[in-house]
Amino acid sequence: MSRRVLIIDDEEDIREVAALSLETVAGWDVLVAGSGAAGIIKARENHPDAILLDVMMPGMDGPTTFRELRSLPETANIPVILLTAKVQAADQKRFSDLGVVKVMFKPFDPLVLAQEIAATLGWQDL
Amino acid sequence: MSEDAAAKIAARLSELWRTSRTTVLERLTVLHSACESLTRDPADNEARTAGRETAHKLSGILGVFGLPQGSEIAASIEQLLKSELVLTPQDLSALRDSIAHLDDVVASKQER
Repeated sequence: MSRRVLIIDDEEDIREVAALSLETVAGWDVLVAGSGAAGIIKARENHPDAILLDVMMPGMDGPTTFRELRSLPETANIPVILLTAKVQAADQKRFSDLGVVKVMFKPFDPLVLAQEIAATLGWQDL
Repeated sequence: MSEDAAAKIAARLSELWRTSRTTVLERLTVLHSACESLTRDPADNEARTAGRETAHKLSGILGVFGLPQGSEIAASIEQLLKSELVLTPQDLSALRDSIAHLDDVVASKQER
């Protein structure tokens, strides 16, 4: 089953590698956005099956973007996975408490990223 | 995952590294500058913030390119600069050592 995943990250390298991983390993359609604001627009227009969302971004950061996504009827039910560089336990709990599906950590392994996302979301097609 | 997919990812990562290492080297320069500023003034919050945010970025990306040790070192720098306390001479010494170590790790990848 074809899936569509939106990656929101201000780091071009991260977007490229994550997209490469999801497209090559899983065959999913991947959309990318370089900011929270651009990501919200893409999410509203394209209704992805899941969103991979960076935490630390200039302007609208990940948690703010997530809250905005939750407030919009078109995007409120899209599962969101936060992606962040390693953080302390207190920050991890703060992020988890937002209501995201999972907090995943960078650096990720491009060879297994898709499997980790599929397992997190209960997608059986990998 | 097929061997083809793994090979394709490896090849693309190698290509990407050739362009990304410029950004990585620029970020190392930011870390060095932050360290110099903090050595002059351990309470320099602007330098500390710049160093912490740069270390965070490096922590997230280096391991993706096969430098997990680089990510670990960058994460330790981020933690050091996250403290609310003014950096001690021991902290600054540890910061200098970590940045030098990070230089070596990145250089080892460039030479491959």
